Amino acid sequence: MTLSAWRHSLRIRLLAGTLFWIFGTILVAGWGLSTLFRQHVEAQFHAELRTHLDQLTAHITLDAQGRAQLALPLSDPRFGRPYSGYYWQVDDMGQGATPATALLRSRSLWDVALVAPVDTLQAGDIHVHQVVGPQGKRLGLVERSVRIDDGPDGKPHTLRLLAAADADLMAEPVSRFNGALWLALGVLGAGLVLAAVVQVSVGLSPLRALRTALARVRGGEAPRLAGDFPVEVAPLVEEFNTVLAHNADVVERARTHAGNLAHALKTPLSVLANAAQAKEQQDPELARLVVEQIGVARRHVDYHLSRAQAAATTRVPGAKTVLLPVVEGLVRVMQRIHAQRDIAITVQPWPAALAFRGEAQDLQEMLGNLLDNACKWAAHRVEIGAHTDGATLTIAMDDDGPGLDATQREAVLRRGVRADEQVPGSGLGLAIVDDLARLYGGRVELLDSPLGGLRAALTLPAVA
Amino acid sequence: MRILIVEDEPTLQSQLAQSVREAGYAVDVASNGVDAHFQGDTEPYDAVVLDLGLPQMDGITVLRKWRASGRSMPVLILTARDGWHEKVSGIDAGADDYLTKPFHMEELLARLRGLIRRAGGHASAELVCGPLTLDTRNSRAVVDGQTLTLTSHEYRVLAYLMHHRDEVVSRSDLVEHIYAQDYDRDSNTVEVFIARLRKKLPAGLISTVRGLGYRLSAEA
Repeated sequence: MTLSAWRHSLRIRLLAGTLFWIFGTILVAGWGLSTLFRQHVEAQFHAELRTHLDQLTAHITLDAQGRAQLALPLSDPRFGRPYSGYYWQVDDMGQGATPATALLRSRSLWDVALVAPVDTLQAGDIHVHQVVGPQGKRLGLVERSVRIDDGPDGKPHTLRLLAAADADLMAEPVSRFNGALWLALGVLGAGLVLAAVVQVSVGLSPLRALRTALARVRGGEAPRLAGDFPVEVAPLVEEFNTVLAHNADVVERARTHAGNLAHALKTPLSVLANAAQAKEQQDPELARLVVEQIGVARRHVDYHLSRAQAAATTRVPGAKTVLLPVVEGLVRVMQRIHAQRDIAITVQPWPAALAFRGEAQDLQEMLGNLLDNACKWAAHRVEIGAHTDGATLTIAMDDDGPGLDATQREAVLRRGVRADEQVPGSGLGLAIVDDLARLYGGRVELLDSPLGGLRAALTLPAVA
Repeated sequence: MRILIVEDEPTLQSQLAQSVREAGYAVDVASNGVDAHFQGDTEPYDAVVLDLGLPQMDGITVLRKWRASGRSMPVLILTARDGWHEKVSGIDAGADDYLTKPFHMEELLARLRGLIRRAGGHASAELVCGPLTLDTRNSRAVVDGQTLTLTSHEYRVLAYLMHHRDEVVSRSDLVEHIYAQDYDRDSNTVEVFIARLRKKLPAGLISTVRGLGYRLSAEA
């Protein structure tokens, strides 16, 4: 895990924190439980040895010569089986001087004696030792001393009684327990890790939903962030929607300002043009100059207004425009403004859901200019068709007019060039369409039409 | 032919009124939306030139109200706003044509002629009735190759009858369509114009339908 991943991922942060605590807690719990059990087993082990020692103590007697004798064999048969792991032994401490030899020992010891450390035992004390027994095995050993003041020989005897058992007998359940314990803790840990992953994933799912909603906005499928978000995320979403609304508002205002500017400039231009024409008889030179310059001024106003509108537009995310209503509206306009020209405008059927990823007004500008050109030049027929390949939308407008040759096609896409001064229009139409289309990452192509005239093909981003 | 011109900019309004008047039409003007709506709603105009940016009530609203109350005269929208979405909303509100500022007066007059002609169901700019031809583009009436000399009122009466040829046109209809609103109207003058036109036109072209009005027809 790199530092930047740590810093940049909420998921990693949350998971790392949770996992640290899960593993820490499991380790401490495991160590604690294991220790407790080991202590318990040890206590059990020693308690058992003490029971054997008690039995040994009860059964020990002295014979007439003062030698230690076992009145009865110990009840546990394991003391009779050689090297069974359970041993006892009786030492004589004498008068507390010489360390005793093994006076008596269990049959399981066979020919080995237990060597207990030298120890001073008060009467009744029980000491616990670790010793090495037969076959080098570690043994747990308990010992006590028994003092017999009035033996049959009249002398006092001090006997040391030992009971020992193989330490492995104690280790074995501990290791079995540890195995089961760590397995259980491992399963628990895995469950907790899984739960943590699920929790983080569920907890962060609103963020994923937010990302999807944002992608939809960016992709032009939605105008604002939609969906139910938890209270922790909702204020963020609201803020974002406010920003989006504000953005749209700014664009709308810019458009209004642009329109106002157009109105403010064009009315005086109209007045001037009409006044100049009215004075054509008196001063034809001046009239011509004024009309010409008004034309230039108008072209500049038109060009820069459309650029300003276009530039304001494409930055608004979430715009989506269904193609058909726009085309139908424009066809109604064309049928009216070219009414005297008797042109049949045909809209080829296409899927009703075909949509452009952008503003309706821009689509109207582009299609309006192309369609207007088609209607101006068509002899009788104009056809509109559209199709999509998923990412892009291609709208083709065909006319049966004279068409344009390659040089003319190149020229009309440039600003302010008109193919024929006889046909009304500023000559900016196609250049503006091209500019707008490029702002959306699309293009305009002028091709040969199957109807015999020009085909204008407009390629734009589609909403899938 | 009577035209209503709605434009709030005074200079442009008088330029428009003058040019349209010179083209042979009777002209009324309005400077705001409320007046325009009232005039269009009460007077029988043959066409309207409507600016969209108007004080008090915008042009689109005026147009919608006219159409909603069944006024069907052709309307030419005149506006500085040349976005296609504005054209679409104008046409959808009921406009018949659209012209953006700055414009050539000739183009406006041509569009106006076209609108009036189409409203009367005529395809050509030249209206023909027997030996009589009326060219609406230059306001000329020709009979057998001879151009008639007509006063503006005579021309208006003739143009209205030509646009409604083979129909009976009442005297009050003629009065409504040849005079501007503020003109002192006298229906007797219509008889005078008809009498003068009859002298200039081949006999029998204009017939009187007693009690109803006049009819211009080639089949006498």
